[in-house]
Amino acid sequence: MATASSSSSSGMVTERRGIPGAQFVEDVQTYLTQAGLDVNSALAFSKKDEELVLHSDNALPEDMTLQQYKLVEMKLQAQQRDLQAKIPDIEKCLDVVATLQAKKGTALITDFEVSEGIYSRASIEDTDSVCLWLGANVMLEYSCEEATGLLRRNLDNAKASLEVLLADLQFLRDQVTITQVTIARVYNWDVHQRRLRQASPKDS
Amino acid sequence: MQQGGGSETEVTWEDQQNINKFGRLNNRFHELEDEIKFAKESNENLEDASNELILTDEEVVRFQIGEVFAHVPKEEVESRIEEMKEVTSKNLEKLEEEKESILAQMAELKQILYGKFKDSINLEED
Repeated sequence: MATASSSSSSGMVTERRGIPGAQFVEDVQTYLTQAGLDVNSALAFSKKDEELVLHSDNALPEDMTLQQYKLVEMKLQAQQRDLQAKIPDIEKCLDVVATLQAKKGTALITDFEVSEGIYSRASIEDTDSVCLWLGANVMLEYSCEEATGLLRRNLDNAKASLEVLLADLQFLRDQVTITQVTIARVYNWDVHQRRLRQASPKDS
Repeated sequence: MQQGGGSETEVTWEDQQNINKFGRLNNRFHELEDEIKFAKESNENLEDASNELILTDEEVVRFQIGEVFAHVPKEEVESRIEEMKEVTSKNLEKLEEEKESILAQMAELKQILYGKFKDSINLEED
């Protein structure tokens, strides 16, 4: 009853930046016989969500990958949060430098935070240079133009990295969806097989 | 997604791509809702700020730039706030438009997928 269909799919990315692509299964029967798995002994269902409880030696490859995907997803999401916090910071710095440049010639009076809840007044004289905190306990002095250039480059890099990251996350979620659907199809196929067997008990 | 009751409906690569697309749109929809909420809040804050500004009679206002509060003359603060309000409302418009388009695409995909899979698929919010 199984139709001989090709088990390879076209137009699929096999992996992206270290994330393995999920293989799309055209025909469940062919897939299972190829993988040499006996569904009946391999799958044991105790709950109706996607976390199928599997016997460890005959585990479906999909279940392992789902957990790996979740790990990678958490890692990427953490990176995304970092970047999304960094970008407004850089924009604020750019704003300050721009204001300093605009106010050349006059002294700028500001209230800045000395400690939490405590502010002090400062008068910033005519400035040609600013100091930028580069991280790793390093602070360098730059002229206003150089500082603006550096900050803009950082901002562009951060935005570009964020875009790549978001595309990675989308790819990852697609793979997770494909894997979940494959697990569901194997389960359905198995239920269907059981029904067929019950309906015709003389065939094995 | 729920598991079906052992139906024989085949899932083609095209169906899989539709399902993936629906998932992606759904995620983007939730992100957009958060962004829209945030943009609306900023808009309100800017409104409140400009109202306060009209009421105050001080000449110099402490305007927050980055982490410091710079002493800026009132007119300049007014124009800055106007600029910021414009930027946020344009942003908000763009976000709302994107949200509408996503909802439309999702409705279309729902029709296609429910049409093929009927009860074997669940595309509603949990």
